[in-house]
Amino acid sequence: MTELAPMLDLTAESATGSTTPFIEVRGLTKRFGEVLANDQVAFDVRAGEVHALLGENGAGKSTLMKLLYGVYHADEGDVLVEGEPVEITSPAVARALGIGMVFQDLRLVPAFTVAENISMALDGQGFVYRRGAVERHIRDSAEQMGFAVDPGALVRHLAIGERQRVEILKVLMAGARMVILDEPTSVLAPQEVDALFGAVDELRSQGLAIVIITHKLHEARAIADRVSVLRGGRIVARGIDPTTMDDRTLIGHMVGREVPALPAERPAPPEAPVPALAVRNITVSGDGGHVALRDVDLAIASGELVGIAGVSGNGQRELFEAVLGLRPLSSGSITIDDTPVRKADPRIALAVGGVGIPEDPLAHSVVPGLSVLEHMVLSDMGAVRKGLGIDWNRARSLLGDLDERTQLRIAAPHREVASLSGGNVQRVILTRTLGDDGSRLVVAAYPSRGLDIATTRRTQELLLARRAAGAGVLLISEDLDELLELSDRIAVLHAGELAGIVRPGEVDRYEIGRLMLGGAE
Amino acid sequence: MTVAPPAPPTDEGLAPAPVVAAPAGPSRGRNLLIGAGRWVVAYGAALVIFGALAWMKGADPIALYRDMWASTFSNSTSLGEVGLKATPFLLAALAVAVPARAGLVNIGGEGQLVIGTVAAAGAGLALDGQLQGWAVMLVMGVAAAIGGGLWAGIAGVLRLKTGINEAISTLLLNYVATDVLLYLIYDPWKDAAGFGQPASRPLLDSSRLPRIEGFGRLHLGFVVAIGLAVGVWAILRYTSWGFRLRVAGGNAEAARRAGLPVGWLVLSSILVGGALAGLGGMLHFAGVEGQLRSGITFTFGYVGFLASWLARHDPLKIIGASILLGAIAVAGDSLQIDAGLPAATVKILMALVLLAVLANSRRTKGAAS
Amino acid sequence: MILAAEPANQVLVVAVLAAGVRGGTSILFAALGETISERAGVINVGTEGSMLCGALGAYAVAASTGSVWLGVLAGAVCGGGLAAVLAFMALARRANQLATGLALYFLGLGLTSMFGAPYVSRQIDAFEQVSIPGLSSIPWIGDIFFQQDPLTYLSYAAVPAVWFLLFRTRWGLLLRGAGERGEVLSAYGHSTTKVRALAVVAGGMLAGIGGAQLSTVVALAWFENMVQGRGFIAVALVIFAAWDPIKAMGGAWLFGAALALGPELQVRNAGVNQFLLDALPYLITLAVLVVLARRRLESAPEALSEVFEGSRGATAT
Repeated sequence: MTELAPMLDLTAESATGSTTPFIEVRGLTKRFGEVLANDQVAFDVRAGEVHALLGENGAGKSTLMKLLYGVYHADEGDVLVEGEPVEITSPAVARALGIGMVFQDLRLVPAFTVAENISMALDGQGFVYRRGAVERHIRDSAEQMGFAVDPGALVRHLAIGERQRVEILKVLMAGARMVILDEPTSVLAPQEVDALFGAVDELRSQGLAIVIITHKLHEARAIADRVSVLRGGRIVARGIDPTTMDDRTLIGHMVGREVPALPAERPAPPEAPVPALAVRNITVSGDGGHVALRDVDLAIASGELVGIAGVSGNGQRELFEAVLGLRPLSSGSITIDDTPVRKADPRIALAVGGVGIPEDPLAHSVVPGLSVLEHMVLSDMGAVRKGLGIDWNRARSLLGDLDERTQLRIAAPHREVASLSGGNVQRVILTRTLGDDGSRLVVAAYPSRGLDIATTRRTQELLLARRAAGAGVLLISEDLDELLELSDRIAVLHAGELAGIVRPGEVDRYEIGRLMLGGAE
Repeated sequence: MTVAPPAPPTDEGLAPAPVVAAPAGPSRGRNLLIGAGRWVVAYGAALVIFGALAWMKGADPIALYRDMWASTFSNSTSLGEVGLKATPFLLAALAVAVPARAGLVNIGGEGQLVIGTVAAAGAGLALDGQLQGWAVMLVMGVAAAIGGGLWAGIAGVLRLKTGINEAISTLLLNYVATDVLLYLIYDPWKDAAGFGQPASRPLLDSSRLPRIEGFGRLHLGFVVAIGLAVGVWAILRYTSWGFRLRVAGGNAEAARRAGLPVGWLVLSSILVGGALAGLGGMLHFAGVEGQLRSGITFTFGYVGFLASWLARHDPLKIIGASILLGAIAVAGDSLQIDAGLPAATVKILMALVLLAVLANSRRTKGAAS
Repeated sequence: MILAAEPANQVLVVAVLAAGVRGGTSILFAALGETISERAGVINVGTEGSMLCGALGAYAVAASTGSVWLGVLAGAVCGGGLAAVLAFMALARRANQLATGLALYFLGLGLTSMFGAPYVSRQIDAFEQVSIPGLSSIPWIGDIFFQQDPLTYLSYAAVPAVWFLLFRTRWGLLLRGAGERGEVLSAYGHSTTKVRALAVVAGGMLAGIGGAQLSTVVALAWFENMVQGRGFIAVALVIFAAWDPIKAMGGAWLFGAALALGPELQVRNAGVNQFLLDALPYLITLAVLVVLARRRLESAPEALSEVFEGSRGATAT
């Protein structure tokens, strides 16, 4: 328990808050090519406080934190830790200074146990890996922190919330005095967010400095002592008390402009529903052979938008893939627009107008080396085929049409998609999928991931436009606000089963959260 | 709506050195110059290292390179020899390049070449007295392409049905192919009039590829090979099949989700690749050897692999790479005579040239880091 | 073959198995090396080249100094040296691992034929068979396992040693971590590149020792291209052994036996086609891969799957 001792010593001091911040940065600047990711950023975090860093996707939050953790190196600017100027040249240096980071895509090896993962992060345990001793040590530390963790469990088998706790424990056991949490709540159910914040609160009271990156205002209000706002790489609000500012002003800082409201007038779902998608009692295996979906029964009428809520990893991916003919069914049946999807063949779904926005566009939709234009004709080659060749002029004019319809401002036709930023890649996918006038069923997995607020709005409008045009829309999202705002009905997945189907006007977030966690209180 | 600010690369991962190059100023011309300079240094380093190794073996590097030049590019006869060697290399390289479009690593050019040779020999020796010469050649070509294609197809099917990586399976099949050849020439196809040598009877002259006037032993196959390279280039570039191969090779999952028949694309690419290698075997057999013997294609397939990677799988550049490697191979024979070094010594130079190229071709974002 | 002649068959089986263990040793060392390298996330197809260099290095030094043990040391250094080129190319220059590996096979082939020519007909004081007192008199077992050469005995120790290193030490933890997710390792301030480079070079050294066993025990000679695909078999073997040193041992002996079957039958004039027997080890390797591959590939280190990128996506489901 030697690792935790210095941290606990700070407890007395934390209540008052020391005058010297634990970390302070001045004039920090970082360029990627011609993009200014961080521009003269000034920022500080005190021991015993939670400092929320707000900003849109692409505002430079993660870049700033990676500068502090030594992943990137600043082009200009100073960093001071406890008043001393330091040069954070690598994560090892950051760790030695007591800075720990919990990455959004957790840095854990799924094939290793919890103990093996934590052991990799700790120094000085001798040559032989003594499993028993390491696991005992971890169990003791976890208990002291109030975390429930089984050191012998394979990380692969842990739920996302548990993995996050392992990650935090690991950072603490390595002697961190400042913890950076990069978008920790994005994959958690509301109750899990509460549990996480409880733990964060505990750490604050033990005197740790904590930075939490988020773009959700209510979370920042719930946990942070101070907030700073980044926009376009610049700090636009620094270290303010969140209680002194209303949501409108904060959003104004984040976005720098008014965000259009979604159309309030929406056509009501049809009275005598014609099913666009009928999922009948399907059971589906996951990649590891386990049952990922069990006896799921769900219908979407044409002109209806159904949201899927759930903690990620509870069968959403398998549902997406089963519906679009990408994954075989163990039992049950799927019908799109009255056409049965008889076997796992994406061409069947495509032929009847079933299209998808995948959860991981880079892995599932982007072909390295191909341009924006070439990506547009991937799935609909029939329209542009000319003999044995391809009519690229026709493809170009089709792209123009799509661009005009969707107004998502995609990159130039000749740009290589794989070299675009995440948000711009997503725009390409969205343009191709949502611009398709003939689609009868749109299955969208996390469509607004990586997008700025304005483009997110545009995407939501396009989904509603497909709904208004009579297509069925299945929206998988981890953002409850988005689901509540857009859905006619919300189906909640837990452990591969439908935990319930609710109507947005009739329930609150916590009720959905309860279903997401399997109905437990 | 306003245009969103360009987002910085959000998550580059932590892999080795997150050095993000910032080419702020230098002009395009200067970049080209730097690029060219790097290549000169890379090729130069390969030559210097090889020279140093030869010097360690007591050869004079300057004289060595002079001899190598003289034996390759100094007159039309030796130029013909270079083309002669380059022909099977070129087709073996295309056998790597076409599957590479679909994301496959075909190291089996050697085996496909051998089986192509065997099929050509089988057809040729069965028919050469009975049909017109050109008809025999045609049948030999078809047989070789089918033989090579099917041999490669084994690896394709294994990959699709059982997930065995084709790099491993094609490598292993090379050895099996050699054993098939040896079996045939030691037993059923052995020439009774061959003084006990393990070899088939010679193909009749009428069924051999005609020579190209003025270039020594160079035969028509060289022209055929270049024509095929250009044809493959055009097909890959302009047809929807070529485009789809690129999609399947770039991201098979994306191709599947877009509704492309990925399995068929993968299989067709390696079938075509194997057929090309098989044709290479036929051209070498009907143009040069005329007789099945052991060691007939020794390492041609592997050299083709080097050539394709040297040219980064671009069929037009493969023509140049094959001629370069053909020249090195011809020079190897002069090394043996002039410097007393084993002919296989030039494999060092081939490997060094490829290593120089591989070290200089950084992969772009999106490839595995 | 005639089943009635039992004693003869028994002698044949023991002879094939004993020769299999002896002949499998070189593959075993190479497979152990490849296991280490692949566990760290780097596939070394150039193992064949490392074995060639090891075989020549060992033979040449043994011939020059008279000490075969010094030869083995030299073999390890030569094998590791060639692998170091892969480490540089794949890690520092991010070159394609499969293409680099094949270039290294060519480099090894060329280098050994260039420097090996003077040793082609040289004699050496080779390793002798050592019978382990007591153990060697156990029926069957003794004949098969305990009348072998010192390098084969060394391999008996190397298998558990490599296993312990990989699965019971912190080095092994870091090494496997590098092979699973390099970015995790670097997040803790370890250098993934350094870990991988060391693993690749160590793997090459083991392949070099394998080559040394081939020239100083099995062949008792040096000749061009003498490894004849054993290195490639070792690469395939590692996959179907699921990156486990102990399973690799069984696989290596199986191939050793397949390789030994031909010559042993030849001696007995069994009338089985020689070329079929020669092709047997490669066919068996393929057959075993067919049976086991899909299951095995799922346990592949993650970073390794990236090298085989596409191979998972492009399989029919």
